[in-house]
Amino acid sequence: MAAPAVSRKSLIVSLILTLVIGFGSLATTLSLGWGPKLGLDLAGGLSVVFKPTTPATQTQLNEVVTILTNRVNGLGVSGAQVNVQGKNVVVSAPGVKDARRVLKLIGETAQLFFRPVLCQVALASKTAKPISAATMPACGAAYALTQSNLAITPDNSVNGYSMNNTIGVDPQFANIATTTSAQDIYADPVILTEVVSGKVARFLLGPGDLTGQAIGKAYATQDQVGAWVVAYNLTGVGSPEWDAVAKANFHQELAIELDGVIQSAPLIQPTQSTFTSFAGQGQISGSFTESGAKDLAVAMEFGALPVRLQPLTTQTVSPTLGHSALIAGLGAGLAGLALVLLYVILYYRALGLVILLGLGVTAALLWAIISALGHTAYAPTFSLAGVTGLIVSIGITVDSYIVYFERLKDEARSGRTVRSSVDRGFKSAWRTVLAADTVSLLAAVLLYLIAVGDVRGFAFFLGLSTLMDVFITWYFTRPLVILLGRRDKQGSSALSMAAGMNAGGSHE
Amino acid sequence: MSDAPVIEAPTGESGPGRFGRLYQGLTTIDFVGRRKIWFTASIVVIVVGLGSLGIRGFNLGIDFKGGSSWEVLAPHSSISAMTTAVENAGLTNPTVEKLGSQTYQITADLNNDSTTVQNTITTAVVNAMAKEAGKNSTQVSTSSVGPTWGGQVTNRALEALIIFFIAVVLYISIRFEPKMALAAFIAMIHDLLVTVGVYSLFGFQITPDTVIAILTILGYSLYDTVVVFDRVRDNASSTNAILKSGTVTYGEMVNLSMNQTLARSINTSLVAILPVAAVLVVGAYILGATTLQNYGLALFVGLTSGAYSSIFIASPLLAWMKEREPRYRELAARVARTEHAVLSPRAAAMMGSDQTQRIAGATRRATSMVIPRARKQKRR
Repeated sequence: MAAPAVSRKSLIVSLILTLVIGFGSLATTLSLGWGPKLGLDLAGGLSVVFKPTTPATQTQLNEVVTILTNRVNGLGVSGAQVNVQGKNVVVSAPGVKDARRVLKLIGETAQLFFRPVLCQVALASKTAKPISAATMPACGAAYALTQSNLAITPDNSVNGYSMNNTIGVDPQFANIATTTSAQDIYADPVILTEVVSGKVARFLLGPGDLTGQAIGKAYATQDQVGAWVVAYNLTGVGSPEWDAVAKANFHQELAIELDGVIQSAPLIQPTQSTFTSFAGQGQISGSFTESGAKDLAVAMEFGALPVRLQPLTTQTVSPTLGHSALIAGLGAGLAGLALVLLYVILYYRALGLVILLGLGVTAALLWAIISALGHTAYAPTFSLAGVTGLIVSIGITVDSYIVYFERLKDEARSGRTVRSSVDRGFKSAWRTVLAADTVSLLAAVLLYLIAVGDVRGFAFFLGLSTLMDVFITWYFTRPLVILLGRRDKQGSSALSMAAGMNAGGSHE
Repeated sequence: MSDAPVIEAPTGESGPGRFGRLYQGLTTIDFVGRRKIWFTASIVVIVVGLGSLGIRGFNLGIDFKGGSSWEVLAPHSSISAMTTAVENAGLTNPTVEKLGSQTYQITADLNNDSTTVQNTITTAVVNAMAKEAGKNSTQVSTSSVGPTWGGQVTNRALEALIIFFIAVVLYISIRFEPKMALAAFIAMIHDLLVTVGVYSLFGFQITPDTVIAILTILGYSLYDTVVVFDRVRDNASSTNAILKSGTVTYGEMVNLSMNQTLARSINTSLVAILPVAAVLVVGAYILGATTLQNYGLALFVGLTSGAYSSIFIASPLLAWMKEREPRYRELAARVARTEHAVLSPRAAAMMGSDQTQRIAGATRRATSMVIPRARKQKRR
């Protein structure tokens, strides 16, 4: 590794290169306006850890992540992260202003209900108010989507049937608000919305007939003419139940409701003149897009999620508290750093300035890397645990200098010149630094891989700064001290290296 | 400092102070010879701590017991006003604490209630606290923890810890030697026990942050020990004149290594503890950031113990184990001194150079040619 005598030129190149890379990358990230992605405890926001109530496979967990991500994004929350950690699913949305609202919405366990469609109702007026299920009025006779009003007749047209398309929208419901998810009870009639080709429509639905548990498997597929349909298999128990519901709603619409929203409201067997058993399977057609069909299939098969989730821990942090924690963390870090620098400069004199410079480069590089990583979203967010990891690493970083400088003093004690001490001293110090940093890195990597929650953020930043320490020791401290050592005329000034290493002069 | 006999090259200076002696490499502390004192001190601290653990147990935070907590910045409130406010909102037996100068934290256990009741109470408390603080309800932080979460964090951390133990013992065994791995391991367990004991003794609250901090301590304790052992290995290596001269026993060599790294150990410990103390003071007591306080406290206790154990536990332990090896027992017999001699780093540095080897040769009987077989160098 270390050649016995390194050329002056290569030392200078290495020194300048490190300085340029360090401060250059800092300047770049600053000019790009990148900053570290602050964690929940610093930025405020929301974090929930969900645990599946039953053991889940990796595939299931990945589906949960997809569904929750869609849900969180659907709420207009930006920068939210949903990921699997161990066997848990972690949702974190730093920077959310009203964390409790978001928490309420994602915390709900979505359910799939099948309900008969009673009639289409007018959109809610501005003065619309929610009413209790018991006082929900019935559909006007002219608007009810009954078998007789719909008048479905199988024929040889493209659709395979004709029906009465002139049934209107019941106006008497305009003053009744859409049922909220809290009031959406299986046994009650509800008013829910459906988005049909980009437009919102409202329907009055009867009490639930069946839940998503009747569905065994559901998948998106294409029919003979290439249109997307959702095919499903019923469970053994679900099959006769489904037949009973379908028979009761024959030639009428049956709504599939997920999370208080109508996903689809297919007609039951419109192309047949009499009801026939579904024999455990069925198919929903309509004007589905590929993704629409797939979403519906997932919703039908899984209700909402492939596994039931139970929140292990939820945390909301107000932006003000987060901000004050950030200030406290930064304040503590800077105060600690200042104390450390003061101490080493008093103790090592000129060599203390080397530490000051070295920490400066390390800090610049670290900040640039953390900012860049925060920009790409590959790294854990920068939380208080991470701040602590960095503060602890001040000790480890400065220790590398101390190990080296104490070696230098040893070398000087055995009568060597400063010039020859710096090379020999570095060689032995470098071994020590490598061995010690390996242990520190080992701890960081293992913690990162195995632990959950904040421990990971801590491990990440500890590991990062340990690597940085190795890098800076070799490419910055070594060339700088060796160059200084070669220049040094022993004892020429109080700030010279010899003053810091001097085994003589009293120091109290 | 030490009244043990001292081999010391004349320095031509008269009586520098303790710090000066350290600075100039004149320390001659008999770390190995007085191991009984160090070991006894540690055992007393550990036994008291474990005794307290057996009687009082831990003060576990809500992350381990499960429960809910709320936090708000309320410059003009008081503990009693806050308590009244949250009790009116439906909390029974809340713990109300003031953190720092302005932050109020309320904790309560709602895990016996149904999810719906929990949500209702949580919201009611948020609103009550916001009103009391004169703030918007989004300014209140909440945290609710199921009873199994903290256990899970700890279990994963313990899993990581056990794998880390194995990896580190392997690494030190290969890079250094198995006896060093064992001594470092025991020193680390020492730090773990001391920290755990102190936490129980003073009733400090255990949170997942504490677990993180303790993991750090263990990593740091090892790091510190590795630095010290690296010096021991260096002094024991075949290219080094100190053991070769046949005038110094293994224990004396360890003693020398300790004194050589003493300045480094003290500096490093100071440098590590200074920022942590800053975290504790600035972060926690002035600004009321609980997380910082938790980290700072555990780190402070652990780093102190870690610095102590690498000097006073790991190294004397290593010397004791090594001196039982036949070749070092023979060496000790040959050196044939009844008391421990302590070399100062400066004297040792002189031994390395030519003129002092002659001095050493003259003062001791002729340097024996039977040299302890030095370990194979693993220099890269």
